[in-house]
Amino acid sequence: MLKGKASISAWLQPLLAILIGLIGGAIAILLIGGSVFDTYAQMWKGAFGNFYFFTNTLTRATPLLLVGLGVSIAFRAGFFNMGSEGQMILGAFTSALIALYFPGTPLFKLLAAMLGGILVGGLWSAFAGWLDARFRMNLIITTLLLNYIASLFAGYMVAYPLKDKTGSAALAQTMMVDKSVWLPKLFPGMSIHAGFIIAIVLAVALFLFIKYSSGGYEIRMLGYNPLFAAYGGVNRGRLMLYSMFASGGFAGLAGAVEVLGMQYRYTDGMVTNPGYAWSGIMATLLSGAHPLGTAVASVLLAALQTGGMGVERNTSIPLEISSVIQSLLILFITAKFGLGLWKRRKGGNSDAASS
Amino acid sequence: MQHLLDVSLFNTMIRMVAPILLAALGGAICSRVGLFNVGLEGFVLVGAFSAIVGNHLVGNAYIAVLIAVAVTVLFSLIFAYISIHLQANVIIVGISFNFLALGLTAFCLKAIFHVKGAFYDKNMVGLPKWDIPVIKDIPVLGGIVSGHSPLIYLAFVLVFVLQYFLFKSVLGFRLLAVGENPVAAKSIGIKVNGMQYLAVLICGVLCGLAGAQLSLGQVTMFTEGMTAGRGFIALVATMLGQANPLGVMASSLLFGLMDAFSIRLQGFSLPTHFTQMLPYVVTLLAMLFFRKSSYMADAQKANGSSR
Repeated sequence: MLKGKASISAWLQPLLAILIGLIGGAIAILLIGGSVFDTYAQMWKGAFGNFYFFTNTLTRATPLLLVGLGVSIAFRAGFFNMGSEGQMILGAFTSALIALYFPGTPLFKLLAAMLGGILVGGLWSAFAGWLDARFRMNLIITTLLLNYIASLFAGYMVAYPLKDKTGSAALAQTMMVDKSVWLPKLFPGMSIHAGFIIAIVLAVALFLFIKYSSGGYEIRMLGYNPLFAAYGGVNRGRLMLYSMFASGGFAGLAGAVEVLGMQYRYTDGMVTNPGYAWSGIMATLLSGAHPLGTAVASVLLAALQTGGMGVERNTSIPLEISSVIQSLLILFITAKFGLGLWKRRKGGNSDAASS
Repeated sequence: MQHLLDVSLFNTMIRMVAPILLAALGGAICSRVGLFNVGLEGFVLVGAFSAIVGNHLVGNAYIAVLIAVAVTVLFSLIFAYISIHLQANVIIVGISFNFLALGLTAFCLKAIFHVKGAFYDKNMVGLPKWDIPVIKDIPVLGGIVSGHSPLIYLAFVLVFVLQYFLFKSVLGFRLLAVGENPVAAKSIGIKVNGMQYLAVLICGVLCGLAGAQLSLGQVTMFTEGMTAGRGFIALVATMLGQANPLGVMASSLLFGLMDAFSIRLQGFSLPTHFTQMLPYVVTLLAMLFFRKSSYMADAQKANGSSR
């Protein structure tokens, strides 16, 4: 980001987008005959109204933030990683297995479960990167395809071989992880857990890495101008593998943290149904792939979602008002991005081909 | 195995394939002009919802289909405006359109019908089943081909129409030229933006039909997110079929067959995960072997997708 004017507009655009999203939401509320002020007041209350709701929002923001950080690394390097969902699923699944079946002390199991989640999510993502680097297979499509394969695979494992047969419920899920391996809660009685701290620390670390380290510089260079990067001695294939591994690793960690801090088991659909991965991608888009911005954006998106629940509890307006606002917001951001970071980027000779 | 392969399996396949095929044809047209449309899922969902609304308001399935097409075209116009005029990244616009469609349909479901999750009205009449006069009496073939909704027949007819349109008509050639090399196309006076708009609008029509088939042809109801990933499957079918209508038909049939298999296996309470997984694995392998063909590279040239 440039100094001065540019940094103001970098803040202005998301704010404008939020405003437009809220106006669009207001129109929708008016159309079905609700009170705009009342609805937004309920939404605010549902998201930040008291300490319980506030921590709830932060809990929901945790996986979004981790996924978003991962996606932002890939985006910064110019790669569209659409496979966060599959990576998060495999991360969650692996960490649940390690926490359940690994021998060792609880702390060791906890760490191993998180590392395992990172490793498997990262490898799954790097596999797509490898297919692109080695065989020129389009990354967007392979990552999308791998989502389904991951989700069906994990779904099979918990529906048949690893199914929890102890409980009365016929849900497709693993057994519950022993209490000693859980991530600690930050406050008694609240849902927020240590995963949130991990996510925030990683956001700051990633910000510093991208801004100040030479590796971060290479990633940015590759994203802004692949040809210049190649000229400057950046090995695209190698960097692609690394950045995709990191990207998937974050998504895997998001899954691990969700299992160890919230659900304590892997349940089929625990990632896909709330749409964690896609919301995380949206958080990245909203912030322009800025790590700290992603933190703000994921809290915002999480607040829209938890606030939407508050709206549904207390008014006649349906919960989906949040998704309407959310997607309008992103749509506006993308239109804006047409002028900036997300504009067509590619190697020089094909630049001539874009009219 | 005998229980697995019979007439009704293939009948189911034809039924399952239609929405995927229609949407995949739309996706193919879009990729032919260099727009990689990730928003198919959203388009189809909008089509499905507006078809039900239309049916509820008018009470005629055919007019409902027209309404579905009209609404989806409107939706695709916005998509076209943002991605062509404002030059936003097509992929991101596609993703956000999927979300918009999901949120908007669920919201309107509550707003219009005052229900949550699903809307079903037993008075609502879906699309009729058509029997083809002579063919329906042929033993095996009749059981497979006959007795489907008109939109299913339309889908297969459209495959050949589009094949002709793209590779034999002047307009089709211009469309291909835009995807092949926008600058060259522009230099001989083809309106690049206009062609891209045309492609997205055709895609809107096709996805509207796909949605109508989904909500009126099979079950006559709407459930939240009832596309259940079919739009993405269609996207994959587009890829696998190399954006070539006949190829798209072949790959869609593969997906339809796997769907039908899964339904059958469910009946035997066997795991369906691996049959469902197969099309994705096949597509990955196909991408590996067919990667030489250049159209995807062209699509990327016109609109840097992953790099």
